[in-house]
Order: sequence, then structure tokens, then C-alpha cells
Amino acid sequence: MTTYFIRRFLLIIPTFLGITLVTFLILQIVPGGPLEMELMKIRMGGSDGVSESGSTSGSTQNIPQSAIEELQKFYGFDKPIHERYILWLGNLLKLDLGKSYVYSEPVMDVITSRFPISIYFGLIGFILTYIVCIPLGVYKAVKNGSKFDFITSALVFAGYAIPGFAFGALMLVLFGGGSFWDVFPLGGFRSSDYETLSLSGKIWDQIHHTILPVASYMIGSFATLTILTKNSVIENLSQDYIRTAFSKGLTEKRVIFGHALRNSLIPISTGLGHAISLVLAGSILIEKVFNINGIGLLSYDSIIQRDYPVVMGILVISTLLLLVGNILSDILYAIVDPRIRFK
Amino acid sequence: MNPENILEIKDLKVKFPVTGGLFLRKVAEVKAVDGVSFNLKKGETLGLVGESGCGKSTIGKAVINILKFSSHDVEIDGEIWMKTETGEIDLNKLSRSEMRKHRGNIQMIFQDPYSSLNARMSVGQIIEEPLLYHTNMNKKEREERVAWLLEKVGLQAEQSKRYPHEFSGGQRQRIGIARALSTNPKIIIADEPVSALDVSIQAQVINLLQDLQEEFDLSLLFIAHDLSVVEHISSRIAVMYLGNFCEVGDGYRIYHHPIHPYSKALLSAVPLPNPKLKNKERIILTGDVPTPMNKPSGCGFRTRCPIAKPECADFIPPLEEKEPGHFAACPYVSA
Amino acid sequence: MHKKLVEIKNLKTYFFVEDTEKQKSLHQEISDPALMDLYKTDKYLKNKVPAKAVDDVSFDIYEGEVLGIVGESGSGKSVTAYSITRLIPDPPGKIVSGEIIFKGKDLLKISFEEMKKYRGNEISMIFQEPMTSLNPVMKIGDQIMEAILNHEEIPKEKAEKKAIEMLTLVGIPSPEKRLKDYPHQFSGGMRQRVMIAMALALHPSLLIADEPTTALDVTIQAQILELMLRLKKEREDSAILLITHNLGVVAETCDRVIVMYGGKIQEISEVDPLFEKPLHPYTVGLLSSLPNPDLPMEELKAIPGNIPHILELPKACKFNTRCTKAFDKCFETEPELLEVEKNRFVRCHLYENEK
Repeated sequence: MTTYFIRRFLLIIPTFLGITLVTFLILQIVPGGPLEMELMKIRMGGSDGVSESGSTSGSTQNIPQSAIEELQKFYGFDKPIHERYILWLGNLLKLDLGKSYVYSEPVMDVITSRFPISIYFGLIGFILTYIVCIPLGVYKAVKNGSKFDFITSALVFAGYAIPGFAFGALMLVLFGGGSFWDVFPLGGFRSSDYETLSLSGKIWDQIHHTILPVASYMIGSFATLTILTKNSVIENLSQDYIRTAFSKGLTEKRVIFGHALRNSLIPISTGLGHAISLVLAGSILIEKVFNINGIGLLSYDSIIQRDYPVVMGILVISTLLLLVGNILSDILYAIVDPRIRFK
Repeated sequence: MNPENILEIKDLKVKFPVTGGLFLRKVAEVKAVDGVSFNLKKGETLGLVGESGCGKSTIGKAVINILKFSSHDVEIDGEIWMKTETGEIDLNKLSRSEMRKHRGNIQMIFQDPYSSLNARMSVGQIIEEPLLYHTNMNKKEREERVAWLLEKVGLQAEQSKRYPHEFSGGQRQRIGIARALSTNPKIIIADEPVSALDVSIQAQVINLLQDLQEEFDLSLLFIAHDLSVVEHISSRIAVMYLGNFCEVGDGYRIYHHPIHPYSKALLSAVPLPNPKLKNKERIILTGDVPTPMNKPSGCGFRTRCPIAKPECADFIPPLEEKEPGHFAACPYVSA
Repeated sequence: MHKKLVEIKNLKTYFFVEDTEKQKSLHQEISDPALMDLYKTDKYLKNKVPAKAVDDVSFDIYEGEVLGIVGESGSGKSVTAYSITRLIPDPPGKIVSGEIIFKGKDLLKISFEEMKKYRGNEISMIFQEPMTSLNPVMKIGDQIMEAILNHEEIPKEKAEKKAIEMLTLVGIPSPEKRLKDYPHQFSGGMRQRVMIAMALALHPSLLIADEPTTALDVTIQAQILELMLRLKKEREDSAILLITHNLGVVAETCDRVIVMYGGKIQEISEVDPLFEKPLHPYTVGLLSSLPNPDLPMEELKAIPGNIPHILELPKACKFNTRCTKAFDKCFETEPELLEVEKNRFVRCHLYENEK
């Protein structure tokens, strides 16, 4: 078993190299990279963006070759592509992800400053999803075919069908103080006057800002987990060992929670490992809608602005989390199911 | 090959590698079949009996060369000679595509009539399919043959448009038999063909198999765990335990006078539908059959054998002829 | 003969399946007032027709006996057994009417709560599939102790001691260690021993064994049957109800036999006379369709035809579609279960004049 997990960890290396190499190549080859953007800015007449019409044409000649080379050197484009990748990889081993083009700060600092916000929303959404969906799924399984089962199924599937960002936008229109009700703030992580508030005020403010984004985060994953739990419980309830449990004279409650649920949680617990990468990754669109400065928004912006070091940095972290999460799933699987023996 | 044989198996070994360690190297192997030789005579029925895990089904699958589909790293050693119209061939040496050409001659009937028929194909399509690959029949000829086969196995030609789920277990097994017969095979391997069926239906299918064997001059390798069924249908019986033959010989003789200690115990364990024999002397073996993974050294049966000696751990006993045509793999017993 | 332990009277257990076509003509056909009431009160039964898995079954189980129920798939033998402990999955199954009197109490009249006091305590069960009948993620010691602690208020240590005792009794080596093992660490035969240990831990008066050896190899089957009979001998007044399709198992273990077909009892007999001289044509057919190694026989005497689907059971005698001796009356009226000899009951028109 230990050798299995050692092997799995060793396999992270080639997988990681493959993913980063492909992404690196694509980023470097596609047109519209940071160099072109910078040149464009110069052509447009400076970074202030104010340009007089007509003066842009023919301005390419205005940029001297030496300046272009300097820029190439600044972005590292003077070397061939494989060298650039190896250089990047070498720096990565020294835990140096480079400097952000946009923020002119180390990529590490840029990313870590955004992490707490994403973890905050991700974790709350994640925990709430499990707290709500598992009991709901069990209850639906026991009451399979009832009116309650039917209505909740309709609700979770409706939630599944609505994209989270669209739901978020709708909530903002309805409750964000526009033409309808002014119940929740329009977005942001906290109010601008957060620091001046009392402790209870701070807590209330935080909750106030949390409800809508978290609801949007959760709405999609609700259906999957609830139905997975329900089906898993139903399947287990028809197993032979449930009949054995009843024949011992156990109560229905004991049979469901002591026998069926434990077995039903096996497929669910394996999802936990994958969830860590989702918790940290944030959601681009929801963060955009609610104007939350999380990892999601950061990766969105860095791609738009061709901030390659940040893009690669986020990729490194999310890839590692995904790969480690997969192994974590296997470990969890081996813990909850004594029959599993990896080799 | 002996002219009266249609199949000769020489020293057949089937090994499944067990991998382990950091780099998944082969660390051990499971010998599912450990050096088995036998002949199938033309027109005879050879019964292969043994308990689960003894390797009897593996032999059937190795002969028809379909083991590689379920585990691609299986190792099959030994010779499997089959007589065909054009000569003798060693099936174990054939490539997959060469084997396909000969599969029309050797067909299999499976245990589970519920899962061995494709639920999405009509009965007609199921029986017709082998004809597409093994014959040059046109559509009309194929349809006629399907209708003829259905009637041969006791179904109606009109039922060819129906789907497997519309039939009962016994009827599905009849469909499986019709499918196996469609290409006019010489050899049929029947792997537990009646053990999933109810008693009253079991008898029907056994009778059908016997009638068809006579009509089509089939040679039958009948694999089963039910000794009385095997005795009824087989002319000769081979008893298997953990990958080896314990005893081979005339069916009636083995059933009434088993020689090998395992065959004796196996036969005395079978409950008979005759209450007067309730208090017959019974050998109850202790313990479980070891898994092929932990096969004991030497004679595989020695851990449960009532007459085991220390020497039994040293060598695998070969089959010895204890009386004419009756072989047993134990040096300490006689007929 | 001993005292009656269980008296089953006119038990009807039906499964209700959706069939809108047949449902339309159903109401004219229902003559059973209990079924009529059920249709009136239960909305679930709308659009559904009854599959009569167990249809008017009456028999007794005596103290100290091993009573066998034989039959093929769909005969109703298992449903009869599960009805005794009311372990019929509802929906789709329902015990429509009847009485199951166990030690003077009608088990069909008591509440579900009270029924739980009987299960595993007074009436225990073992099942066909030892591979799946134990909870795969629970240690076997915990599973046995759960059965004990569910009925007896004793400290955990005492229950554990009892579990070890039981495992020793059923012949599991080093039971203290094996308590902490999971079911997958046991072979099929060993798991069935664990099931027996669990079922007998509280010394039930009735053990219901549903095809306990069908999934096992012959040599293991012999071990398990021997174990069950040995343990039963230790308690004179307990009874075993053995459900099986294997006539050999019946001959070797049972004192009395019930033969079922199409949801009805066709024959009840003590074991020796049944095998010596079967009366019902179905029993005759069943016995002669077995290969007999002592007789040189070219052709087995198979029962012709197929087992009818439970929704398409024939009218009148349930066996009339396959019976070689059937005559006009067999297609008109259903025969009664009559006592033709002492302790011998047959449901067949052929024997009506003998009474």
C-alpha cells in the first residue's frame, strides 16, 4: 500500500512537467503576448492611452530596433523557447515564480494575497454543501418517490441548470438595491468602512457580504452531491447486508445510519480530495460578478493582460493541488473502505 | 495426433502474473492451470469437475483462446492440438486473426444465460452474427439457417425478432446453444451450462445437449461443479483441484469407485435425494480450498487430505494408471 | 409429535406491479375482501396488479424439527419465509392477509416496533449470499455484537465474550483475532459460519435459513449443513425452516418437506415417504428430472414447458400447463390441499377420491 502511494507521488513529476510544458508553449506561441501588447501601447501613443487620430499609422518605424530588443530581453523572449522553459523550471525549483508584469511584484506575493479570500468563500461553500446535501440526500432516499423528494429534486436540478454567475447576477438585480429590494451589498469582500466597525458589526458585515456569493458558488454543486448521496443510499438500502441488519431486529434509524450511510459515504468521500483544488481555485465568473478579489478574478485578469508569470504561477499551484487531491482521494478511499488494497 | 482424438492438450499451463512493488514488476504468478494434459475423443463428452477456483473454466477459455481478452498479460504455455478438415493445428500458436478463422469449429456455451446474450440484439441477430464471419451465406440463407436452428433447440422460428429479456432462463440457454451451433462446430465447450437453471429446466437443457450431440456428431467438453449432472452426461470425467487433475477416467467408474482422496471426499459431500442414504459414511473435509495464490507446495490437496504424508509437500504427483483407463494423481492409493 | 412453534394460516403475500391494461379488468376479478379493502385504502396500488407470490399458504412448524420448503424460482418459498419476519420490501410487496401465530401471538397483528423484538432474538435468519450478507465496512465482531446488544442490556465486554464464544462454536480458528477482521478477509464458507454465529447468538427458537449453501462449494456445503444440524441438536426445542431448491439437501437434513409451485403449497410430507413415493405430479417430475447415477439412463425425464411468469399463472391448478396427467377438471377448478395419508397433504385432483 505504501509503495502504491509512493509511486503515485512520483508520478506527479511527469504529469506536472507535461501540463506546465504544454501550457507554457501555448502561452508563448499564441499571438498577442506581452511584447506585442507593450509595443501596441507605445504605438498607441503612450501608456495614458490618449492618442490623436491619424498619428498611429506608420508609427511602427518610430520604435527603434534596439528598444524592441530591450523589451524582448526584459520579457525573456531573446532566448529560444526551450531555454525559456528550462529557465522557468529552474527558478520554480528555487520557489521563484518570477515577477508579475502588471503588478511588478513577485508572483508568489500576488497570489498569496488573494488566497485567503478564495479559501474563505470556497471553504464556506464546500462545508455548507456537504452539510446540506448529505442529510438531504439521505432523507430523499428514505422518502424516495414522495412529494418532498419530487419537489427537492426539481429545485436542485433547476439550480444545476442555472449557471452560478447568472444566478449571482439575478440575485444582485433582485436584492442588490436596484429596482427591487435593497437587502444585500452589490459585491466586494467587505465594506469599505470595515475597519471602523465594532466586532459584531464586522461579523455582520462579513456575513452580509458572504451570503449571495456563497449561494452562487453552491447552487451548481448542490444537485450533483444530493443526487449522488440519494442514489448511493438507495443502492445500499437494497443490498443483502441491509436485509441482514433488519433481520437482527435493528431499528430503521440504526440500519440507515449505522449500515447504509457508512457504505454510501464511500463514493462521496472520494470526492473530498478533488474538492481541495476547487476550494482554492475560486470561480472566475462569480468573483467577477461580485467583484471579489480572489484567485479566480486574478487568473482572469492575468490571462487578459497576458501576465504570463502570474498565469503560470496559478497553473503550478492548481495543478499541484489537483494531483495531490487525486492521491488524497485514494487515501481517503482506502481509509473508509477496508476492502481497498492498492498495490 | 491419435486418429480418434479431435483435441489433444499437452501440458497446459495458464499463469496470471501478480505485480507489485514500486515499479509494478512481476513479483509472483498465480498458476490457475498447472500442467494439464488430456484428449477429447471424437463424439465423446468429457466432463471437467471441481470446486470454484480449481481452474476448470480457465481450461475451457484457454482452449478457445479468449483468456487474453479479459487479462492481456496472461501466459499460456503448452500445446492445444485441434483436428480440422485441412490438418492439425496448435491453437496456442495462432495469432488472434488466425484463431478467428478456426473459431467456427470450436464454440462455447456459457453459464449465465442472462448476461451472455447481448440485450440490445434480437435473438435472430445473435444467432446470425457468427454466420456473417464464418460463412459466405447470403441474407436469405442466413435467415433460413437461424429459423432452422431455433426449431432445433426447441424454440419457434417466429421468435427470432424478439429480444433476450422476453425469454426465460431456460429459453435463453437454448438461444445460447443455437448461437454456438450456428457455424456447424465440431467441438463445443460448455462452461456450467445448466447451473443457473431451475431443476426442472436443467433436465430439459441436458436432454437437448445430448440430442444435439448425437445429431451433429459433436465433441463436448462439459465443465460443471454438479457431479451427478456431469456423471449423467459424460463418458469420461476429469476431477480437478487447484489447477491439477486428480483423477481421470470412465464416468461411471469414478462416480461409484473414486480412487483419489479428493474425489472420494467430493463425492461423499454431495447430498443425495435419497433419505435412506442420510447416514452414509461421509468424509467432511476440514478447512477451505486454498486460493491459487497460496497454493501449497507439492500436492495441492495435501493441506486438506486425510491421508497426507510429509513427503506430499515435495513433489506434484503425476497421474498414474491405477486400472485400465482410470488414472489418479496420488501414489498412496490404488483401485 | 412436538408442540406447534409457529402456525401459519392462509398467508397471502402479494407484490404489486404496474400494469394499466390488466388493472382495468382487475376489479371484477377480485373476490378476496382483504385485497378489496387494500385497494380501497391504499393509493399506491392505483394502476397496479397483484403478483401472487404467496397465495393462501397454511402450515405449521413444530418445535425441534427441520422443515424444508422446496421449489423452483418464483414458487414463493423465500417470500413465505420472509413473511414470517415481515421482511417483505414494501413497496412493492404487501402481506395482504393471514395469520402467523408464533408462541401464541399473531406476528401480523403486532406493531413494527414489537416485531423488532422478535427478529434476531426469537427468530433469526441466514441468507443465500454469504459474500454480500455482511456489511463490508464493519468488523465482524461489531456485527455479531450489534445483534447481541440490540436485544440484551449487557456491557460491551460481555457481548464481546459472547461473540468469541459463538465464533468458537461455529469453528472459526483464533476468534479473538478474527473479531477485528472485515468480511472480505473471510472465505465464503467462513462468512456463512459468521452468519450462523450471529443468527444463533441469542438462541432463537426458529432459525430461517434461505438457501444457506447454494452459493458454496460442495465440500463447504457439507461442512455448513453439518454445523447447522449439530448446533440444532444442542437445543432440542428449536426449529429450522430451510428454504432450498436442492432436493439432495432436503433429503439429508429435513424431517418434513413442503413442496411449493406457483405461490401455493402442492405437497406436505415427512421426508422419507416423499422421496419414496412422491404424490403430486410436480414432485414426481422434480424428482425424476434429477440425474440418477445408479441407473443407466439415456434421457432425463424432464418436466415439459417453462415455469410460468408470476403474473401469468394459469387459472385453476397452477401446474396444469406442465402436468402430463392433467385432465379437464384441472383447468376448471383449483384442487384443495387434502390430507390423503396421515401427515401427508396433496393439492391434486388425482387424489380427491382417496380421502
